[in-house]
Amino acid sequence: MAQQAPQQSPPVARPNGAYDGRQPRMVEGELPGKYPLYWTRAIYSGYRGGRSWRQSWATDYPKGDQQFLVVLKRLVRLNAYDWDNAVRLDDPQLRRFPVLYAVEVGGMDMTNAEVEGLRGYLDAGGFLIVDDFWGSREWDIFEYNIRRVYPDRPIIDIGIGHPLYSAYYQIEEVMQVPARGRGIRGRPTEECYGCRAAVRGMMDDDGRLSVIINFNTDLGDAWEWAEDPYYPLRYSTYAYEMGANMIVYAMSH
Amino acid sequence: MSRIFEFLFKYRPLVFEQGEFAFGAPGSVRFWLMVGAVVGAGAVASYTLARGKSSVMDRGIMATLRVMLLAVLVFALLQPALILSTVVPQQNFLGVLIDDSRSMGLEDANGATRADFVTQAFTPSESELLDELSERFVLRFFRFSDVAGRIDGPGELTYDGTHTDLAGALDAARQELAGLPLSGLVMVSDGADNENEPLTEALVPLQAAGVPVFTVGLGEDAITPDIELGRVEMPRAVLEGSSLLVDVVITQRGFGRTSVPIIVEDELRILAEETVDLGADGEPVVARISIELDRAGPRKVRFRIPTQPGERVQENNARDVQIEVRGEREKILYFEGEPRFELKFIRRAVDDDENVQVVALQRTAEAKFLRLDVDDGTELEFGFPATREELYRYRALILGSVEASFFSHDQLQMIADFVSERGGGLLMLGGGSAFAEGGWQGTPVEEVMPIIMQESTGGPENFFAEVKVTPTLAGLAHTAVQLNEEGPGVAARWDSLPPVTTVNPISELRPGATSLLLGSSDALPADQIVLAFQRYGRGKSIALTVQDSWLWQMHADVPLEDQSHESFWQQVTRWLVDGVPEAVSVVTDQEQVEPGESVRLTASVGDSTYIEVNDASVTAKITSPSGSVEEVPVDWTVDRDGQYEVQFRPVEDGEYEVEVTAMRGEEVLGTDVTYLHTAPSNEEFFGASRHQQTLQRIADETGGQYYTPDNIENLPEDITVTGAGVTLVEEMDLWDMPILFFLMLSLMGAEWAFRRMRGLV
Repeated sequence: MAQQAPQQSPPVARPNGAYDGRQPRMVEGELPGKYPLYWTRAIYSGYRGGRSWRQSWATDYPKGDQQFLVVLKRLVRLNAYDWDNAVRLDDPQLRRFPVLYAVEVGGMDMTNAEVEGLRGYLDAGGFLIVDDFWGSREWDIFEYNIRRVYPDRPIIDIGIGHPLYSAYYQIEEVMQVPARGRGIRGRPTEECYGCRAAVRGMMDDDGRLSVIINFNTDLGDAWEWAEDPYYPLRYSTYAYEMGANMIVYAMSH
Repeated sequence: MSRIFEFLFKYRPLVFEQGEFAFGAPGSVRFWLMVGAVVGAGAVASYTLARGKSSVMDRGIMATLRVMLLAVLVFALLQPALILSTVVPQQNFLGVLIDDSRSMGLEDANGATRADFVTQAFTPSESELLDELSERFVLRFFRFSDVAGRIDGPGELTYDGTHTDLAGALDAARQELAGLPLSGLVMVSDGADNENEPLTEALVPLQAAGVPVFTVGLGEDAITPDIELGRVEMPRAVLEGSSLLVDVVITQRGFGRTSVPIIVEDELRILAEETVDLGADGEPVVARISIELDRAGPRKVRFRIPTQPGERVQENNARDVQIEVRGEREKILYFEGEPRFELKFIRRAVDDDENVQVVALQRTAEAKFLRLDVDDGTELEFGFPATREELYRYRALILGSVEASFFSHDQLQMIADFVSERGGGLLMLGGGSAFAEGGWQGTPVEEVMPIIMQESTGGPENFFAEVKVTPTLAGLAHTAVQLNEEGPGVAARWDSLPPVTTVNPISELRPGATSLLLGSSDALPADQIVLAFQRYGRGKSIALTVQDSWLWQMHADVPLEDQSHESFWQQVTRWLVDGVPEAVSVVTDQEQVEPGESVRLTASVGDSTYIEVNDASVTAKITSPSGSVEEVPVDWTVDRDGQYEVQFRPVEDGEYEVEVTAMRGEEVLGTDVTYLHTAPSNEEFFGASRHQQTLQRIADETGGQYYTPDNIENLPEDITVTGAGVTLVEEMDLWDMPILFFLMLSLMGAEWAFRRMRGLV
C-alpha cells in the first residue's frame, strides 16, 4: 500500500557549502509537507559585527534549531520535522513554511529580492520570529531593513496581557535571556549597556500579529545551551516557554 | 380510422372489446359448419369436374374464391352477434367533473379557450353531447381546482381556481356519489395538476369500486411559441451573505437556439442578470445563476424572462421564490489534535464571515487545550464535549488530525449521533491522525463518513502524495467549490491553484456519496478523493482528505490578491451549517399561497439532546401583514414522534410571521420563526399544456377511456357499453355488418375479373 509521492515541486533552496558546511537535513528533492511544522530559519544577506561579511543569519545554526526542536517536541504535542531547515528569503519555496525564525538581524542587509520575498511571505500569512539582536545600533539596522518591507506599519510593544503569553505557558514577565557565558557569577545578562529586553511586534492589515521581535535578548542561545550545566536554568526555561508559546500562537492565529 | 372501422363493422372497436361473440342461428354451430362444408364441397366438385380450356390452376383459384364466398355467406347466415351489458337509461348516475382553474381561460391556437369548449359542450338545450348524456344518465356536476365541490351546472363555473388537484377532485366526487348506482365519472380538464398529490391514492378506491373515469383532455399538447420559466431550485433558508448557485429550468417552444435574458431581483434591486442560450425546440435547459443574499429577513426573489415577441402565455415567464435570509451567527466546533497550520488559515479565512463562528479547540499536549473564539471561560473548559447537550450546541463539527483513540466510545457514538440525530454537519480533515491513519476504522464515525477507509498506511513515511485538485462534474455544480467564479471560470481557477498534499490514501466513495473534488498524481493508481459528502440521517458528513489547503493561500504561485482559499473555506463552513435543524423548528407546506388558501404548519419538537418530545405544549403565534396577532395551539400528530401540526388560512396579502414556541412544563424547549407569503398566484399558467399522459393514465387504470374534443361525441355510447351501475344484457347483430357485403361482392368480383383475364367467359 505504501506509495511514494511524485516529486513535482522543486526542492527547497538551501545554503551552499560556503556556510561552514552546515547543511539542512532535508534530502535533495524531498518535498516539504509530511510534517505540520518545519522549524525554518531565514537566510538573509548581511554581515556580522560590521567588520567582516560573515553570515549573521547562521548564528547558532544548526545546533540551536535542532536542540530547540528536541525539547519543543517533548513539551508540545507537535509533529515537527526533526531537523533544521534554512531557506532564503527570496526563495519562492519559503511560502511552504508559514513560521520563520531570523536571528542576529542587527547584521541584516537584505537584497531587494529578499525584501520582496519577505513582504510577500508576510502578506500571504507567514509569521516571522526575530531574535538575538542588541542595542540601538542593531535595532536601527533591523528597523531600517524591516521598513524596507513595510514602511508604514508601526512596531508595537507586545504587552504581557497579549494572548501570546498564554498560548501555551502562562508567562508572567518578559525576561532578558543572556547569551552563553553571560548572566552567571554576577555577570550582566545584557550585551549592551543598560539595555532591557523587549518583545515587540508588527500587525498585518487586519490587525493580526505577524512579526514577533525579541529585542535585547537571545532565546536562541538558551535553546542551544540548555544542556550546559553552567547556563542558568531560569533563562532556558523561560526561553523554551516563550518558544512554545510563539510556535503555538503562530500556528493558530 | 375509427370512423371507417365503425362504418365497416357497424360498431366501434370499444363495443367489440366489451362484448362477447355469439351466433344467433338455431341449431349448433357444428351443424351449420357441416352444411357449409357440403355446399363448399359441391362447389369445389363443380369446378373440378368442369371441362374446357381452363387449366387445373385456374379451376383451383376459382374454386377457392367461390368457397370463400360461401364461407362469408354461411357466417352471415349463422347470425353472429355481440352480447354485452349496457347501462339502463336514467337508472344510473354520472359524475361530470369540470376543471375550474385559471388555466381553462388560456386560448388555444384556434382562438377559443378551454372554457369555451366546456360552455359549448355542456350548455343545456344547446349541446347534443349534454342531451345524449342526460337521456342516458342522471348527471351530477362538480367543479374542481384546488378544492372540489358540487355545482348545479356548468353555469356556476368561474375559472378562477389557483391550483388544480386531480386526485382531490376524484376523491371528492367518489365520496359524494358513494352508495348511488354510478356508471362512471367524466373528468374534463387540461390535466395540469400542480398540487402534486399522488394520483394512485385516488385511483385505487375507484378501481375497487369499479367506477370507470372517462377523461376529456383540453388544450394543446404544446403551446407554441412560448417560454416558461419552470422550476427554481433554491433553499428555503440561507445564512446572510451566502452565495447561492440557483438552477432555473427553462422550457420553450418556438424559440429554439436563441438566447434570452434572465433577470433575478428582489424588492430593492437586481441581484443577477444573465443570458441563457436556449436549446432545441421543446428541450429544457438549466440555467445556473449565482446570486448573493446579504440582507437578513424574509425575502421574495423574482426570476423572470422578459416577454418575447409573439409569446402565447406571458404569466409563466416569472417565478417568485420565498427565502429566509438568516442573520444568526452559527457556531462550528473545530477540534484539532495538534498544532497545524490548517487551523490558523481556516480561522483567518472565515474571520470576516459575521454569520459563522468557528470555535477552535486545539490539543497542544496531553489534556492541554488551546481554546479560541469561545463565548466565555466555561466553554470547552474541559476539552472536547463529554455530553450531548454540550456538543449539540454546535451546528457543525470539524475534526482535524486527531486519532480516534483520543475519544471515549461514548464520545465516538456521540459524534455519529451528532450527524444522524442532531442533524449537524461533520467535516473530517486529512492528516497524520485522520481517517484510517488515525484509527477511525471500526468506530461509529467510520460509517458516517462518505468515503471508504482503506488499511492504514502507518503514517506519512509510508504514504505521502502531492495531488493536483480538480472539480468533478458534481463539483462544478456545487456552491462549495465555486471559488467565487462562474461557469468555465471555476475549472480554470482550480487549475491555477498549486498542488496540495495528502497522507491519507482514499479512492473509494461510500454508496450514495458524492465526490466534488479529485486529486490526481502520476504516482497514484487511482484519483484521490479530495472532497466528498453524503447525507447521513438528519445531517451530512464531508471528507476533505488533503492536509494543507493553506497552500492555496500561502503558496508562491498564488497571487496575494487571490481569494480562493478564503472563498473555499467560507463556502465549506456555510455549507456545513446549512440546513442544520434546531431542536424546535417549524415549516409550512407551501412557501407562498393565495389569500384564503389553507396552509399546514408542521413543527418538529425535540429536547436539548434532540430526542423527540411528544408531550410538549406547542403554540404558534401568527402575525398577519396588518399586525394582528393570533395564537393557535399546535397539536401532536400522534403518528410521528415529535411532530406537531395545525392548519390555518391566511386572508391578507403580504408577509405572515409564524413563531412557534414549544414548552414542557415550565421549560422552554425552543422557538422558531418562519414566514409565509400570501399573494395571487400564477401557478396555473405553468405547465398549462394538455397533459395527456396523466389523463390517459386515470382512464386506463379505472377502465375508462380518454377523449379529446375531436372524439367526444362517442362518450355517451361508450359509457353506455362500458359503464358500471344498473345494466342489462343486450344482443347486437353483426350479420348485417357492411364488411360482409363488401367481402361477398369483392369475392364475386374477383372471380369474374379472373375469368375475364384468363378468357374463360
